[in-house]
Amino acid sequence: MKRDSRLTIILIIIVGFLTVCPVIMLVFGSFSEGLSAFGKFTLEKYIAAYTDPELPKIISNTVIFVLGAALVATILALFLAYLNNRTDIPGKFLFKVISITPMMIPHILFSVSWVLLLNPSNGILNLILKQFFGLENSPFNIYSLWGMILVEGLLDMPIAYLIIAPAMASFDVNLEESSRVCGAGIGQTLAKITLPVLRPAILAAFILCIVRCMASFAVPSVIGMPGRIYVLATHIYQTISVGFAVDYGKAAAIGMSVLVISITLIFLYRYLTSESEKYVTISSRGYHPTIIKLKKAKIPLFFILGLLLFILIALPVLVLIYTSLVPYSMVPSAKAFSMMSLRHWNAVIKDPISILSLKNSLFLGIFGATVGVILSLFVAYTIVRIRTKMSGILESLSFLSFSFPGIVIGIGFMWFFVRTPIYATIWTLLIGYIATYLPYGIRPLSSAFVQIHKHLEESSKVCGAGPLTTMRRIIIPLLVPGIVSGWILMATMFLRELSLSVVLSRPGSEVLAVQILRFSGDGLWGRLSALGIIMIVISTTLVALVSFIGAKLQPAIK
Amino acid sequence: MEIRIKEVSKYYYSEGKTIKALDKVSLTIPSNQIFTLLGPSGCGKTTLLRCIVGLETPDSGEIIIGDEIVWSGKDGINIPTEKRGLAMVFQTYAIWPHMNVYNNVAYPLQIQKIPKEEIRKKVEKTLRFVKLEGFEKRPATNISGGQQQRVALARALVAEPKVILFDEPLSNLDAKLREETRKELRSFLSKLQITAVYVTHDQIEALALSDIIAVMHSGHIVEIGSPREIYFNANHQFVADFIGRANLFKAVVKAQEHDKTIVSSDIGTFVCQKREFPVESKVILCIRPEFIYLKKDRITEEETTGEQNVISGQIDNLIFIGEAYEGEVRIGKEHLMVKLDPETSLKKGDTVNLVVSSNHCLLVSA
Amino acid sequence: MRKVKLIIGTIFILLVVLGMTAAASKVSFYANITAIEPIMESFEAKTGIKGEYTRISTDKFLATVLTEFEAGKLLADVIQAPLPVLEILKERGVLSTYTSPVAEAYPEWTRKEGIQLFGIEYVALIYNKELVKQEDVPKRYEDLTDPKWKDKIVMANPALHPTTISWLVGLKENIFESEEEWLNFVKGLAANKPMFVASFGPTPAPVESGEKLIAISMPKYIITKAPAPLDWARIEQPLMGTPRAIAVTSSAPNPDGAKAFMDYWLSEEAMSILAKEVGEYVLAPGIFPPIDSIDKAEVLAIRELSDEEIQQWGTEFKKIFAVY
Repeated sequence: MKRDSRLTIILIIIVGFLTVCPVIMLVFGSFSEGLSAFGKFTLEKYIAAYTDPELPKIISNTVIFVLGAALVATILALFLAYLNNRTDIPGKFLFKVISITPMMIPHILFSVSWVLLLNPSNGILNLILKQFFGLENSPFNIYSLWGMILVEGLLDMPIAYLIIAPAMASFDVNLEESSRVCGAGIGQTLAKITLPVLRPAILAAFILCIVRCMASFAVPSVIGMPGRIYVLATHIYQTISVGFAVDYGKAAAIGMSVLVISITLIFLYRYLTSESEKYVTISSRGYHPTIIKLKKAKIPLFFILGLLLFILIALPVLVLIYTSLVPYSMVPSAKAFSMMSLRHWNAVIKDPISILSLKNSLFLGIFGATVGVILSLFVAYTIVRIRTKMSGILESLSFLSFSFPGIVIGIGFMWFFVRTPIYATIWTLLIGYIATYLPYGIRPLSSAFVQIHKHLEESSKVCGAGPLTTMRRIIIPLLVPGIVSGWILMATMFLRELSLSVVLSRPGSEVLAVQILRFSGDGLWGRLSALGIIMIVISTTLVALVSFIGAKLQPAIK
Repeated sequence: MEIRIKEVSKYYYSEGKTIKALDKVSLTIPSNQIFTLLGPSGCGKTTLLRCIVGLETPDSGEIIIGDEIVWSGKDGINIPTEKRGLAMVFQTYAIWPHMNVYNNVAYPLQIQKIPKEEIRKKVEKTLRFVKLEGFEKRPATNISGGQQQRVALARALVAEPKVILFDEPLSNLDAKLREETRKELRSFLSKLQITAVYVTHDQIEALALSDIIAVMHSGHIVEIGSPREIYFNANHQFVADFIGRANLFKAVVKAQEHDKTIVSSDIGTFVCQKREFPVESKVILCIRPEFIYLKKDRITEEETTGEQNVISGQIDNLIFIGEAYEGEVRIGKEHLMVKLDPETSLKKGDTVNLVVSSNHCLLVSA
Repeated sequence: MRKVKLIIGTIFILLVVLGMTAAASKVSFYANITAIEPIMESFEAKTGIKGEYTRISTDKFLATVLTEFEAGKLLADVIQAPLPVLEILKERGVLSTYTSPVAEAYPEWTRKEGIQLFGIEYVALIYNKELVKQEDVPKRYEDLTDPKWKDKIVMANPALHPTTISWLVGLKENIFESEEEWLNFVKGLAANKPMFVASFGPTPAPVESGEKLIAISMPKYIITKAPAPLDWARIEQPLMGTPRAIAVTSSAPNPDGAKAFMDYWLSEEAMSILAKEVGEYVLAPGIFPPIDSIDKAEVLAIRELSDEEIQQWGTEFKKIFAVY
């Protein structure tokens, strides 16, 4: 229909403008001599980047790291989402906590916490295990590929959870029940019916995690580098940052291959889910999923859940609290506890820049996520419902800046924004965030969209409602779970965003993550942890508030 | 309101193949009649309905509702769904799960920005009409399938549209409820001055509900007529076979009399209803099981007239289905489906005589 | 629903208003040096001009400044960075040739036509004084190659961290007698499998916590991380580091403010703050950080290495240290 293609084109223009501009700058930069985007044409950067003898090793590391972490994230998320939505496991509120907290901890802090726990010399867990079992050597070495996979997997799990959980919640139980009737046990039903039907959501989660892991920098640098394990992101950093004249063009040249892989993955994903109509599951016949009684499995599963909660949330957060109280990095001991004080907290609270960055981050989180979700809503609609070639383009566009390694895309935005009047204002951050993290809004929304039967929307049109009225009265209320997920993903991301902020923030537009980076640059882990905890508290409050509003807006369904 | 469909085509492309969902369909749906599009799944009936309501865009042709051209390929007219002023009941009912019954039904009126008080009156009246008074506050997901179906109907009727479209609205109900609802629907619709377009694959539903039936097959309208015409006087093998059950045999026209046609087939020579086929042309003989009478005794000369065909065979199979016996009679190598009185004394293995009136021997082109 | 919207709307508007704060008379200062807020404050107290400090890490310094400069949007009045960075900026015409009268007090070699050297990012061996016995503390750089330090050393990545690369090269040119001796030292250090981190910032933490015992790091952490049990090894050989430099930009939006800032920065007062509170080694005569016996140490500025040289050495060290 004409109206639909008009909407698609408008969105392509908006999203394209947001995401293509910085990437084009990077393309220019990768082909241009010198350090900025508009030098003489040269292929030298590509030749240098792709003839590096280390490349095969880097690529194999990257593949293992990325697939491993994405797998850990997706499987964990599936496990949690299933337990939460479909079983009678006690303590369900814990799931929200587990699933969301890792998103609120700045990745660099989370990684450092794990180093404190599992480093081979005096990692706390290693020390305990050594003493307990009388071991000679430390059982775990965090500075390894599996250490990276574990930590990155845990960090990306919320992304997967927030995409899979809404789909799981609105799953038509008839599909499962009929399988049970056919004689399949719970396990078989899960493997043969539940998981295949949830394929779009699972794939979406998996691919999003892959893309995110490829762009991730905190874990590879804090855990990988000391273990001398390099992946593409750290390789890029390694290649360009030798010397003072850092050549981001060359970084962009390497980044192009990441971009190509990501876009390929996204097309693959579209192809694999091209018959998404088959998976429509919400209709008006009510969707109160039946709850599987766990019986004997209840206690062990709850125990596993508790363990996860402890590892994921309690340990790193405890480490953060501890670090914020002791004067310097120390292994817990009587001495450490006797030296505890609030000096780092005082230093943070009295720092005017920290306060300003708090305000800015809050603004960016709330306002940015809201604008981002509204844009994502339209994009998701176009991708799921209109489904033309053009909407395929739109979907790929939305991933453009997201799939670039973080340290590079920031420079792309700077090269772009410096040519606009909003340079060096907070608006560059706002636009940059939304453009880069658009998939965080689009993914949960489109997987929620897939679950809503087309008829619900069509019948509103037949009743005489225009597209906007239908959006407001039918689609949005039904999408509330997806909207809440998207908003939370975006808001918590914006609150801790680093890669863009570090390039674009200027006096007056400081944000929390940059302040954190500043502390980490000076090795001030205490202040870093104090600010990190403040960040976590703010994020938690926001998340709780939004979940509450979401539940209020949707009384009839829950 | 009359609906005219002129040469409407709609193609789908899948895996490099073109599927003609609608192939130059032309059709006039008269005002204030219950018009049914009947056909097997994939015949294009739902596509046609969705083109009328505007949820699907044809590739060519013209659709006119009343005096208004709502879609025209050559003039580039495309009135969006919400401006066509139609009403529709979906197969899934499309009841909005986040609203209660009242809001579901009131929705079309709320869209028209009608004063609240008036909406309340109209919704009340409509709910009473579909026998759902008192359900206003109930969450729409918390009522039975039949009630949901009536909510969907109420929502379609509340704005008093001139045309109402039904997309297999009864297919999700159980047999008993389906029958009841069918009757109710018939009585609701006949009380209203409304054009109804009804899509179904269920021939009984079509026969029971419709004023006019259009039978569709792979993107074409095969035959249009009243339920009786379609049932008794089908012109096409497809229609004869699809409506009810039919025994079909290859036959050759042997002679044309002034009000009869005589054919020869594998199960013998038959005197049939008059059809203008040339002598020696190949045709299909179609006999419905319910018009075959079985007799154990020999048939006397008095009992047969020139109007009746008599053949003998052996009962191969009998199945009791409550209201009747369904049986299979072997005649030579051929089998014939028959229907027997439930109290019959005939049993498997009996040799019987079959009597079929020539009026019920239908010839359709091969 | 309406109410919620209204509330959310109001919050946004408030936040937007908060987000836009008016700017007064100010000087914009781009720097890679950290923790200098006290100097900014005392500058404002003294002159009434607001100092705006933008910290840009070394790896993004040139990209940021050059991008802004080429787009005609360089916001900085004064720029501080390692000397090689300012040299590149001078070549591109980003810097003015302003020489502060205060610089008279500094040694002759610190003045470079507009660029003024004021400190040295000095590198030393920082150890955990609770875990390392006094007799084990290295007395010469060569002591680091002793196998007892195996898996006990942390340092910035010698394949990429410019200051560390320069420091290693500086050892060759200034400390060791012969290239062979130096190479033995580097190989011995590599054989002890030091842990690599991205820059100096993360080097002290593993030493404080006891994960490692000794770091190739900066003595200033002894001050900024007090009361952590850190001390520096008083080795017989001189300490070395890359010079820190400062200059006024050619396109300064507030040229007078820029000069005032530069003058203040080089003043005894500001340099004392830098030494006392941040632990920096400054070139203003007679001012030392309050680190025990640092005033007696000889601190050399390493020869300025070009980027090509740094990259070459980086590749070389990548092999020797088996970084990948």
